[in-house]
Amino acid sequence: MDLSLLPQFLITGLSTGALYALITLGFVLVYRATSVVNFAIGEFLLVGAYLVYTFNVAPFNLPLPLAMLVALPVAFLFGWLIERGFVRPLLGRNVVAVIMATIGLVATLDGVAQLVWGADQKAYNGELPGQPIVLGSLVLTARSMWGIVVGIGVALLLIALLRYSRYGVMIRAVSESETAALALGINAPRMVGIVWGLSAALAALGGVLLASASGPGFHVIALGLMVFPVAILGGMDSVPGAVIAGLALGVVQALSTGYLEGSLPGITEAIPFVIVLLVLLLRPYGLFGQSRIERV
Amino acid sequence: MASLNVENLKVVYRGVILALNGVSLRAEPGEAVGLLGPNGAGKSTLVRAIAGLLHQYEGRVLDGKITLNGQDITHASALKVAALGLTPILEGRPVFRYLTVLENLTAAAHKLSPARARAITEEVFARFPRLYERRREQAGYLSGGEQQMLLLGMALLTEPRVLVVDEPSLGLAPILVEEVMRVLGELRREKGLTLILVEQNARAAFSLVERVYVLEQGRVAFEGSTQVAQSDADVMEFYLGAGASGGFAEAKRYRRRKRWV
Repeated sequence: MDLSLLPQFLITGLSTGALYALITLGFVLVYRATSVVNFAIGEFLLVGAYLVYTFNVAPFNLPLPLAMLVALPVAFLFGWLIERGFVRPLLGRNVVAVIMATIGLVATLDGVAQLVWGADQKAYNGELPGQPIVLGSLVLTARSMWGIVVGIGVALLLIALLRYSRYGVMIRAVSESETAALALGINAPRMVGIVWGLSAALAALGGVLLASASGPGFHVIALGLMVFPVAILGGMDSVPGAVIAGLALGVVQALSTGYLEGSLPGITEAIPFVIVLLVLLLRPYGLFGQSRIERV
Repeated sequence: MASLNVENLKVVYRGVILALNGVSLRAEPGEAVGLLGPNGAGKSTLVRAIAGLLHQYEGRVLDGKITLNGQDITHASALKVAALGLTPILEGRPVFRYLTVLENLTAAAHKLSPARARAITEEVFARFPRLYERRREQAGYLSGGEQQMLLLGMALLTEPRVLVVDEPSLGLAPILVEEVMRVLGELRREKGLTLILVEQNARAAFSLVERVYVLEQGRVAFEGSTQVAQSDADVMEFYLGAGASGGFAEAKRYRRRKRWV
């Protein structure tokens, strides 16, 4: 084991982990607001990554950061439309029915994405801007910095908004009880639409940054599946939990790639799930699951 | 001031369970009306129907009409009803338990300007100092009485003209019931509210309202002024369980005899 590479692995891990955190944040918000486990989250990443690609190539030819900025509102609209057309009619139905429906959404979105963008691997035009920072043996690539800065920055911003802004309080209120919110005249359907839009926008941001090296393609979907171990580890309904669990699993994966992959090929894919199993044995509600307030 | 009128309302849940079978009720501007009756009589259903919240409970209006200030709100959404100035306080003390007291008030104040919201929040805290002391605690940890006060405060922040309160006394100690009724009376006078008070605790309701409706099995079984209701032995005995006559055995015999008449 070569410990001199440890800081490098940590940085790489934090960068992917921050993006996992970002995507999971959206996933958890959706779960809290609508109790829907969005199995199509991988497709949200895919659509987001492709949307950025669309603005990145002809006829738009926008540089990557600008393409991301333009694609975000479109991704938001996409999530909002999914909620309107697909989730809302099913709300209040059997949980299994809703889960099956999101699995149906997976197939639908896969097909639509292939029709629109084709099935082949694409490449982004240009790189994420920024000079790599070299600190001794440690190299901070532009991509790592984008991951860390955007991932953690946006996550903190969102947490602050949820906590302190009026809209954030309203979203949390609706997430807890739609009926009680409606009784106060809070526009619950609008809040739920916003949450789905946010989730899609966050997935787009995470998707494009995770795919910035490889370019958008169907392998992005598999990256989206990381929200499941991250969300479960964080406690499923905890926003800070999602961030911390995302960073932790990102680092674990990077360390596993660095140290274990040589002797145990394939372990990196499995290790987040192994950790989740171990943690759930000790803490059934995950690391930061909300402890239920009950009056006796 | 606002008037509420319910005409011959029929409500079903899940398409088959008839919860209201032709209920009519009116509340004049500034009036306080009590809605009494046993469990399962349809009181809460009426509240949900008025507030536009039936579909949240898989219910719908089958027949009849609800008007608020002459405007038809029979099938209006909860948001529409709220916009017209009617605020329900639902049963079971539905505060947002994971939000702090302050956040609960913020959520309720969503349509007010920040300055107005601050002014009314201060008014709420002045009225309920206990809420101020516990403003940073999660509402789920408040006592039942405090939660009821919080709900009243939240309702005030919606600036209602009609307030419909569903069973505020449920599970509260008698001294707190008195307190809640006193506050409701004050608010009603100060704000010129039209008040619909749903209660099982008839004695508590009588202290506040001018007229009562007694609901039984989805119908109005009695309608009249508070004085008449209180002096009507049958109403007291059958529906409100507050008969003046002797012990339980005697009451039972009386009921049995009445049933044959």
